[in-house]
Amino acid sequence: MSAYKDKDARINGIKDQIRVVPNFPKPGIMFQDITTLLLKPKEFKDTIDMFVERYKGKNISVVAGIEARGFIFGPPIALAIGAKFVPLRKPKKLPGKVISEEYILEYGRDCLEMHVGAVESAERALVVDDLIATGGTLCAAINLLERVGAEVVECACVIELPDLKGRERLNGKPLYVLVESH
Amino acid sequence: MQPGFSILCFQASADLPFLVFYQRKGVMHAAASLLNSSNLSLRFASQTQTRLSPWIAAPSSVRLPLNRSQNYRIALPPLHSTVSGDSTQPQQMASADVKAQDPRIAGISSAIRVIPDFPKPGIMFQDITTLLLDTKAFRDTIDLFVERYKDKNISVVAGIEARGFIFGPPIALAIGAKFVPMRKPKKLPGEVISEEYSLEYGKDVMEMHVGAVQAGERALIVDDLVATGGTLSAAIRLLERVGVHVVECACVIELPELKGRERLGEKPLFVLVS
Repeated sequence: MSAYKDKDARINGIKDQIRVVPNFPKPGIMFQDITTLLLKPKEFKDTIDMFVERYKGKNISVVAGIEARGFIFGPPIALAIGAKFVPLRKPKKLPGKVISEEYILEYGRDCLEMHVGAVESAERALVVDDLIATGGTLCAAINLLERVGAEVVECACVIELPDLKGRERLNGKPLYVLVESH
Repeated sequence: MQPGFSILCFQASADLPFLVFYQRKGVMHAAASLLNSSNLSLRFASQTQTRLSPWIAAPSSVRLPLNRSQNYRIALPPLHSTVSGDSTQPQQMASADVKAQDPRIAGISSAIRVIPDFPKPGIMFQDITTLLLDTKAFRDTIDLFVERYKDKNISVVAGIEARGFIFGPPIALAIGAKFVPMRKPKKLPGEVISEEYSLEYGKDVMEMHVGAVQAGERALIVDDLVATGGTLSAAIRLLERVGVHVVECACVIELPELKGRERLGEKPLFVLVS
């Protein structure tokens, strides 16, 4: 489901602040740059508000944010809904004992890690990132949380690239986005 | 005791008095073997202050949580929020040490986990991820910064990748400022300006998007921790190069023995825990 379709009055303002940078990180990719959204206090606040309105009162105790742009959107949501924030990181960044989940990239593999003990069994979790493309990273995040017994209630992203069909790669978990980019 | 003396304080169980060890010149023999022991529930703190007597005289006044077999900072009095270079109160530096600390500081400090030998042997890593699991302490951390900066006409909060991305945006949102990420090379997609800075071995580069900030804006720089001050200095230079006035640097944690505060020169530094 996309809020874009729901025509919330704030959505156009948010979409207008996202900058598209052609040929980054490589030729042919149209990169969706959210840093310009962060320069607009009203639209940045609207972005957070739309997620908070959706998730407060849903008994979510964990917001997991994916390094690094998930660290920008996750904590404000977590603070507003009274949940803890759990960073999901690239290998060797987290200092304590971790569990790791490997996932496939277009060429090669990568790995996502979470601290042991950060999340307890039966907690209700939200996974946050700035954008969903193929869904590989989000899928790894879902797996990490489910491996420790948490229930992933939903994945939340500012932007979706629907043509890359990431929504189908989420183990049946729902996805909520504010903006679609074709 | 001289300044720069470090104290380690262990409590093997709630019934036993504190065992006090001290170190000089970075050598800590007895501590290392205890840290490697898996059958002790350890609580320790490292403190470079000269006030030993409150700790030794009144161990029974401190009750430590023993429900986790991990190492946390002890928030024993006095742990202060420290400010330097506050131009509106030039006489206040000496009195900052004896001022009563905000009651929220203790909870923040004790939520920070210390991990020995990460990323390499001898380093005691200050892990803020446990603070983020404590909803009250995380909320208090942000509130303390917001209360300080909300009426200072700050239009830019710059956060240093990646842990500055966790603390910067909530502060920016609360004070109505924009958030500008300062990143490692090749992460930002648009045109950037770069600033090189020195590491212990070698160099690194920090980047900021061209056009993110305007000349004359007032900025705050946020990171989780200041150690040598190299990263913060690079961030200050990046912003000043485009004509921004850096009002202050704000960190949750300071490692005072690494003298990062001096490396910032005239720029004030505000920390919650040191």
